[in-house]
Amino acid sequence: MRSLDVAVVVYPGSNCDRDMFYALELSGFRPRFVGLKGELRGYPVIAVPGGFSYGDYLRPGAVAAREEISHRIREEAERGALVLGVCNGFQILVEMGLLPGALLQNEDGLFSCRWVDLLVEDASTPFTRCYRPGQRISLPIANGFGRYYRGGGDVRVVMRYVHDVNGSEEGIAAVANEAGNVLGMMPHPERACEEILGGTDGIALFRSMMEHLSSLL
Amino acid sequence: MQRFAFLVNVQLKGHVRDPRGETIRRVLKEEKGLPVERLRIGKAILLEVEALSEEEARGVVERACSEMLVNPVVEDYEVLAL
Amino acid sequence: MRYLSHLVEVLGREPSPVERHAFEVAWSEHCGYSHTRAYISRLPGVSREVNAGVVELGEGLVCVFKIESHNHPSAVEPYNGAATGVGGIIRDVLAMGVRPVAILDSLHMHRVIDGIVAGIGDYGNAIGVPTVGGQLRVSSRFRHNPLVNAMALGVGRGSEVVPSRATSPDQVIVVFGGLTGRDGIHGASFASRDLSGEHERINIQVGDPFAEKLLIEAFLQMRSEGLVDGAQDLGAGGVLMATCELMGKGGLGGTVHLDAVPLREPDMEGWEVLLSESQERMAVVTTPDRAGRVLEIAREHMLYGAVVARLDRSGLYRAVFGGEVLLEVPVRALLEAPAEEALEVSPPPLSSLRVSFGFEDESAAPIFSRYDYMVGNDTVLPPGLGPAVLRVKGSRRGVAVCVHSREDLAESSPYWASFVALFEACRKLVSVGARPVGVTDGLNYGDPDVDPLGLALTMRGLEDACRQLGLPVVSGNASLYNTFEGTPIPPTLIVGAVGAVEDVYGVSRRPPRGKVFRVGFEGFDPSREARVWRGMEVLRDRGCFLMAPSSFPSATLRDVLRSMGLSLKVLRPIPRGFDQTFLAVSPEGELEGLDLPWEEVGEIS
Repeated sequence: MRSLDVAVVVYPGSNCDRDMFYALELSGFRPRFVGLKGELRGYPVIAVPGGFSYGDYLRPGAVAAREEISHRIREEAERGALVLGVCNGFQILVEMGLLPGALLQNEDGLFSCRWVDLLVEDASTPFTRCYRPGQRISLPIANGFGRYYRGGGDVRVVMRYVHDVNGSEEGIAAVANEAGNVLGMMPHPERACEEILGGTDGIALFRSMMEHLSSLL
Repeated sequence: MQRFAFLVNVQLKGHVRDPRGETIRRVLKEEKGLPVERLRIGKAILLEVEALSEEEARGVVERACSEMLVNPVVEDYEVLAL
Repeated sequence: MRYLSHLVEVLGREPSPVERHAFEVAWSEHCGYSHTRAYISRLPGVSREVNAGVVELGEGLVCVFKIESHNHPSAVEPYNGAATGVGGIIRDVLAMGVRPVAILDSLHMHRVIDGIVAGIGDYGNAIGVPTVGGQLRVSSRFRHNPLVNAMALGVGRGSEVVPSRATSPDQVIVVFGGLTGRDGIHGASFASRDLSGEHERINIQVGDPFAEKLLIEAFLQMRSEGLVDGAQDLGAGGVLMATCELMGKGGLGGTVHLDAVPLREPDMEGWEVLLSESQERMAVVTTPDRAGRVLEIAREHMLYGAVVARLDRSGLYRAVFGGEVLLEVPVRALLEAPAEEALEVSPPPLSSLRVSFGFEDESAAPIFSRYDYMVGNDTVLPPGLGPAVLRVKGSRRGVAVCVHSREDLAESSPYWASFVALFEACRKLVSVGARPVGVTDGLNYGDPDVDPLGLALTMRGLEDACRQLGLPVVSGNASLYNTFEGTPIPPTLIVGAVGAVEDVYGVSRRPPRGKVFRVGFEGFDPSREARVWRGMEVLRDRGCFLMAPSSFPSATLRDVLRSMGLSLKVLRPIPRGFDQTFLAVSPEGELEGLDLPWEEVGEIS
């Protein structure tokens, strides 16, 4: 296992896996697809991409969170691997209980695809160290169930929406676990790595991960 | 005037396909080993209506169902008094 | 049954009930194209060999695309009708062997029907194919007959394209995907009926986008492992049409073992299995030694499958169920639906052309934000400003695509309405620097038995316009009998136009601040179009941002500009007509010396 290997977990119905793979490669990582029966042991980074795992048929992320591979994700997270959950990936991590709270249907009941402004509140995580604290960035969202509900518990907030986007409590857009090695976010950083696609504020997230891993060597 | 509570159980009509229910049933049976032979996902709608009698209140619920809550092309429903 | 006497003649006797069911479907307008086949065969570039058309983009890249309608189901059950419409067209493109990378929808309704918008969004979003553009037409003309046409597009290497026919009697056909139930039995013939009459209880087709996504991945894996010799998606007419088309186009026959088809409802009768329109299924032509691996891949993707047909040289289509031969007829009989006579028409004078009705200026912006237009990381130009532009990774090339129609002109002149629709669609492509390379046509028409002339003129207009521009019509669809109590919709020819972009990095995502000019000629005269395109090239080279809407301003344009932090001041609104003009946003007087008429109409700031 090399230090820049990234497992991109693919559940039945995941559909942002290839985009995540592409962005990771662009950022200098060595991504590999890992399916339900795959092996996660030893990966320094695990990416759980967006999409509609199991069609979102029960609750978004509910079925995927209960697959064997998800138990392996938990084990690796407990060993300190970096785990990045984007959109459906965030929903899966929350359904797994690896991150607190819940992701509910957008307030207006509609799917929303657009670029939104965010504030990077916590620039000390391995995913955000290349941003300035309080930096304003622009990333795209595309989801129907992005309303973050914190349920009164403790939450390490990493990013917030500048304007109310879907009724998320306190505008929470991204959260990390206490240790900071697991990040869940509804916006898609992998869609913001090339100017031609609309913006490049996602690059710093992948660079942060790269720098963090390099600092461990 | 009184408040009457009802639960409207909305389900897809028997002959209409329910891919969500089918998929979840397969996961429960084939992956989790639970002998679930049939699973349909519908909606439970809770209503509280102000009326002079339960009969009148039930009439209001029926109207709500026929005018909006239920899609008569693909759904059936039953009204349960709570 | 329509054409019953013809069937008796072909068989040499009265048909059995199963034969009647089968031919009713095979010879329905939706499957048999009786009224339109003659006109379609005259269109330049048409080949009956393929499901969806193929055009070359350069560097060995090809683009596969097609448009399809799902009007009648959407009128009855908007959500599932629209959703399964998307599913069907996606499978059409997938069956060619390339990954579908874009969806566009053309919606014509009397008001925005939320079920239709939601159905398209939920299905497209779930399968992870971006809905990158579309057309919204709101008019009372569509009160009882909403039109839902979906276009899908795939990009791949020419070597990946898979034919839609069997080629050898040693081959077998595998059907895989979701289970087969009683969905939409007789949906194909239902689609050809006036909606005001009583219709028997139809089993509404319900979409399963999760199964579709699995189907896409499974099929592409089969193709990449070299297991697919030919393929056809199962759509109208289910197993019957998919298998007989694969056999027929290869000049072969075969035996279909209906007992092998994996069923959702175990008590189905043979003819139901034959004609079921259960969604999310694909037919793959392969050889017995590779069929096992095909089925293994299907299983690995949570899908069902079975070897369903064995081919032979007999030229006969034989369907067997429960030890009985249900059907045994020449394959050609099924594929050669009686053709209605085509009318010879000539171009009417241009002076007859006028706008018959207007559209509500409903903004499409709230609609396309409900569709994920970014998934795939290839969308360069998002919805709202013009055609969609997608890049091809690993290349500077890209593809531009739009859907467009001018049914508001068709009541006065169906011929010229087709002409204008095609020319305007191509003008949109040229506005982003694309070179038009191919067209798919979605014909939506009223009753061709009552008004055969309108149909002939609509198709002739498309034919002549395509010849003049040198464009092939590589695929298409026809939806007829869109009437209510005898009143037809206006002839609505939807053009799906595709252009090749040489350098996607030269495409701007947003207009600059500057004056908005209208450039070009008043009125319509096809011989002037080339000059208009040249003018567009010149202004693009000079750094102008171009758009080619049919009217100015539109609510959609205002919303899109506002979302970019820009505002629009209008000096002179342009109502929808048929002038040969385009808009140029010019930051600094780039129009000097242009040999086309121009006038200032607004400003973006």
